[in-house]
Amino acid sequence: MLDLLAYDFMQRSLLAAAMVGGLCSVIGVFVVLRGLAFVGAGTSHAAFAGVALGYLMGWPPLLLAILFGLATVWITGWVEERGRMKLDVSIGILYTTTMALGILFIGLMKTYNAEVYGYLFGSVLSVTPEELRIIGALSVLVLSLLLLFAKELYFIAFDQEMAEASGVPARQMFFLLLTLVALTVVVSLKTVGAILVFAMILIPASTAYQLTHSLRTLTLYSALIGITTSVCGVLISAIWDIPSGPAIVLLATAMFFTAVLLSPKRLKRTGVVHTH
Amino acid sequence: MSPEGTRESVSTGHSPIICFDHASFGFPGLIALKDITLPIYDGEFVGVIGPNGSGKTTLCRAVLGLLPPVEGHLHIFDCACSELRCHHRARIGYLPQKGVVDRNFPVTVLETVMMGRYGALGLLKRPGKKDRQIAMEALTQVGMESHKDTALGHLSGGQQQRVFIARALAQQPKVLILDEPTTGLDIAMQHNVIELVQHLHDNLKLTVLLITHDINMIRSRVDRLVLLKTKLYAAGPPADVLKPEILHQVYGKELVITEKDLVIVEDYHHHH
Repeated sequence: MLDLLAYDFMQRSLLAAAMVGGLCSVIGVFVVLRGLAFVGAGTSHAAFAGVALGYLMGWPPLLLAILFGLATVWITGWVEERGRMKLDVSIGILYTTTMALGILFIGLMKTYNAEVYGYLFGSVLSVTPEELRIIGALSVLVLSLLLLFAKELYFIAFDQEMAEASGVPARQMFFLLLTLVALTVVVSLKTVGAILVFAMILIPASTAYQLTHSLRTLTLYSALIGITTSVCGVLISAIWDIPSGPAIVLLATAMFFTAVLLSPKRLKRTGVVHTH
Repeated sequence: MSPEGTRESVSTGHSPIICFDHASFGFPGLIALKDITLPIYDGEFVGVIGPNGSGKTTLCRAVLGLLPPVEGHLHIFDCACSELRCHHRARIGYLPQKGVVDRNFPVTVLETVMMGRYGALGLLKRPGKKDRQIAMEALTQVGMESHKDTALGHLSGGQQQRVFIARALAQQPKVLILDEPTTGLDIAMQHNVIELVQHLHDNLKLTVLLITHDINMIRSRVDRLVLLKTKLYAAGPPADVLKPEILHQVYGKELVITEKDLVIVEDYHHHH
């Protein structure tokens, strides 16, 4: 295993996995608490359609992924705000439409393009130095914004209407959160792939949710779980030569079920009700 | 504890803190509140009553500046509603209707109350020692200081309601708006929460807007009652508003007032 660590590509992919794991799991806390899980899924498929269009037309795929992702979350946010349609319906429609576009764009390509499939299923072991720099820059951007507006984002996740009523610019914060989700999805596309990125946003935060009642601890646990499962997933993937995306996600899922079984919240609920 | 005791009415010589002037709210074709003219004065305790769907919650949202009038004017702290900035909004404490908040959200009591400071603090500023102190004082006001590290989800409904009132107090508000704070609580706890609201009104000199269905519980405590059903049917001292001819217009003929001044629904079967 130590021999593996000596390779440049291995160092790059471990670094990419750690960054993506940390980023997804931290933003995942806000996504899970604000009830935006399905938005993450919709966005990743939209971003993939952007990648496919990029390869088809010879335009920068990551840029198009960002555009497609942002368009999806902003439409979703707008629809929720106007209360015109149930959120799951609007996302469901966008989700399948963008996936259809993605498949169409692939179909229109004259030749088989392995790189596109890398974005669909994730291929962290082929991360290039340039991609690593983009992942690093976007991670720093997203995490800094999360940190700067953490208290407002926590509040809107708890109760957006209440936050607005007590003088927090809640609408702007909601769109900021949606934007950060879209950027996170794009950052993670290459590592875990469009189909599985959603799991990296959802699972570490949901696992941590089982373990604590404090917001701060929840974020910390989620980040630790995200980084650990991503890095270990990549190592497993390299050692046993299996795809990295499924390795990371299945490892995270295993941790989730362990946490559910050992959850202090669950045990307390079935135990004696303590009086104060 | 003297719920039936008489309360001296507050002086209303100064200008109103909230002023509705022929204001209508809602959307074109779906007006929730129509042509409301109502001044609310500093330090008043106002009870808002009316049937379901009569626009009581709309009134709250309007005062919070979340819903500008489609017609007429609404002034809050001498600002037009549409110009109400976030820091003004922070001076109005709000307790929304129950059921809006996820009770299993991973948050402790103190963390919940600290959220009341966020609006006043503004963006990019971290809560400090002073904010913590204000939050702790608010918790003491509602008698929940010993639960500060308890998970919110572990508290009873009445205790949670107290914590949310503390969060509103942590804003150091001038106005406190409570939207049906007793819904879903047992009868002792209902009384308990209303007692607390009166205590806060008396001690902190807060202007209180209390929305409720329980006319009998608040009639002896409020300075004025406001009776809504899309339009403003009556506003004034409880004795002036709770008259059969006024209540019948809003609630129907089954409502009667007993000799002990209780507003009850007449038993249909009793008379047939």
